[in-house]
Amino acid sequence: MEAFWSVRRPVGALHAGDHAWLACSGAEEHEHVVGAFVRDGLLAREKVVYVAAEPDPQIPGVVGTPSPELLTVVHAGHTGARPVLDAVTAEVEAAERAGFAGVRVTLDLTCAARDPEATRELMECDAALDRLVRPSTALSVICRVDRRRVPPDAVDLLRAAHTVHAAPDPDFEDAVLRIVRTFDPRGLELSGELDASRHTVLDQALATVLAHGDDGPVHLDLAELRFIDLGALNMLAEVASRRVGRAPLVLDRMPSQLHEVIATVGWNMLPGLKVGCAAVLAPVPRP
Amino acid sequence: MGLTHRALLYDERSDFLAATGAFLRQAVEVGGAAVAVVRPDNLGPLREEMAGYRDAIEFYDSAEFYRHPVRTLKAYLELVDRVSPLRVHAVAEPVWDGHDARQRLEWQRYESLINVVFAGSDASSLCPYDRSTLPGDVLDQVRLTHPVVVDGADESTSDAYLDPACYSAARDRNRRHDRPADAEYLPIESADLQPLRLFVATRANAHELTPAAAQNLVTAANEVAANALAHGAPPMGAWVWTSGDEIVCEIGDHGHWRPHPLTGFVPPKSALDTGFGLWSVRLLVDLVELRGGWDGTFVRLRVRR
Repeated sequence: MEAFWSVRRPVGALHAGDHAWLACSGAEEHEHVVGAFVRDGLLAREKVVYVAAEPDPQIPGVVGTPSPELLTVVHAGHTGARPVLDAVTAEVEAAERAGFAGVRVTLDLTCAARDPEATRELMECDAALDRLVRPSTALSVICRVDRRRVPPDAVDLLRAAHTVHAAPDPDFEDAVLRIVRTFDPRGLELSGELDASRHTVLDQALATVLAHGDDGPVHLDLAELRFIDLGALNMLAEVASRRVGRAPLVLDRMPSQLHEVIATVGWNMLPGLKVGCAAVLAPVPRP
Repeated sequence: MGLTHRALLYDERSDFLAATGAFLRQAVEVGGAAVAVVRPDNLGPLREEMAGYRDAIEFYDSAEFYRHPVRTLKAYLELVDRVSPLRVHAVAEPVWDGHDARQRLEWQRYESLINVVFAGSDASSLCPYDRSTLPGDVLDQVRLTHPVVVDGADESTSDAYLDPACYSAARDRNRRHDRPADAEYLPIESADLQPLRLFVATRANAHELTPAAAQNLVTAANEVAANALAHGAPPMGAWVWTSGDEIVCEIGDHGHWRPHPLTGFVPPKSALDTGFGLWSVRLLVDLVELRGGWDGTFVRLRVRR
């Protein structure tokens, strides 16, 4: 099924009837997004079905040892898409019979999508899955691939087949500011307005990014940031200065007015900060 | 070696060319960085005079270089940094026409500030003053702001030279602090400054500031208000009014802070040093006026359309 429109929805806001898509850039993004999907499901005592390509997967978001009634792991192996669809359908029907208020399924399509022959079958099964999910009042699904291991054509094909794209839950969100992790490139997407009353949350979010990363650059996507105060610029410069000898903090897609503020103050005042992707006038939706 | 800051009083262009030419030639000969920032009228003749040294001297038009005193300080700092470790020798001729009384006062303060801001550098500057055309009150200040004055063949230490902090304080003494009755007021009651930003931005847009100038004003007002929240005492609030082509935003609190006359004028090394906030605020708007009085602390930001 071809989707002509799509929405990006934070994983925490996915609901029954959502058949969502996630093209991961790596383990960190997988852990962050799929982990939240699994964890929220287990905490709400919903049924979670985790379909993995490998036999003993590290399942993100699992705390302790959940009971087998709550969490079922399906090993897809190289059996093809059809048997996996059948297994998932059986698990969903069993969960619904067992009276679970919610059923969450997440499937790794990476192996199937790597092979052009298998992709055709995969697309048919995905359409069948869609017919199962859409009318359901309990079922939500995330289909995922490791973007680096799948041909771009197959990624595009699968992306187009899903109307909902699973996005990370914000690290912070209120009426004024939203902070969301980004994974390719690594960093944060800031939207809204950033002032002294929200420096602490920025500090925490930055600390999380820095704690998990290597010494590579950290990108801040500012396309939808309408205001940044001097104190926050000072904080960013401070973070950059603690990374001496490592890659800089890169400010991407700065709105022209923010750019003007920094140019007036002087980039030399903010050592360690670099301008990345060009400034934009209007916010551009992320992929 | 320390800064050398000299004024040059001249009457004829030929005197100007002889003195600045000799200064620049010497700069080139000792292997320094020679820079000439002069008024448009003088730029062509000086280039011609220095034709033999053309590639060794950077020329700038004062009308471009001297637009905003604090930004001009910043531009000179960047120049000194850029050519370091060479010693800068600058002919630095400010523009004195087209200013109202308040702007003229700020440029005079600027001439005094040079002595503090560049005290740690070994720059050498010669500031030409055209005695035949400049108004008396501009010429009156030259000996107060320059430690050394060159007049024809005579070079002498100025007995009238004032410490920049004293000079600056004296210049502020006659400032008026009244506020029009129709100034709009917004109390600042929480650490969330979004209502303040909206208040200032709406009025800046209504006053037809460019989006960039409006954003700069909002950023400056937000910074001053954040300082008031961090260091001042309630009640605090913001007033906005317009006066001719200026929009004025004043942030006040009831704390008792006695700002030093040079607060925010002396640049920090980077955002990590103290003083970054107020230095930036001075760069972001056309004029900042600080006042610590019996009734509290007030910071007034002025932006021309």
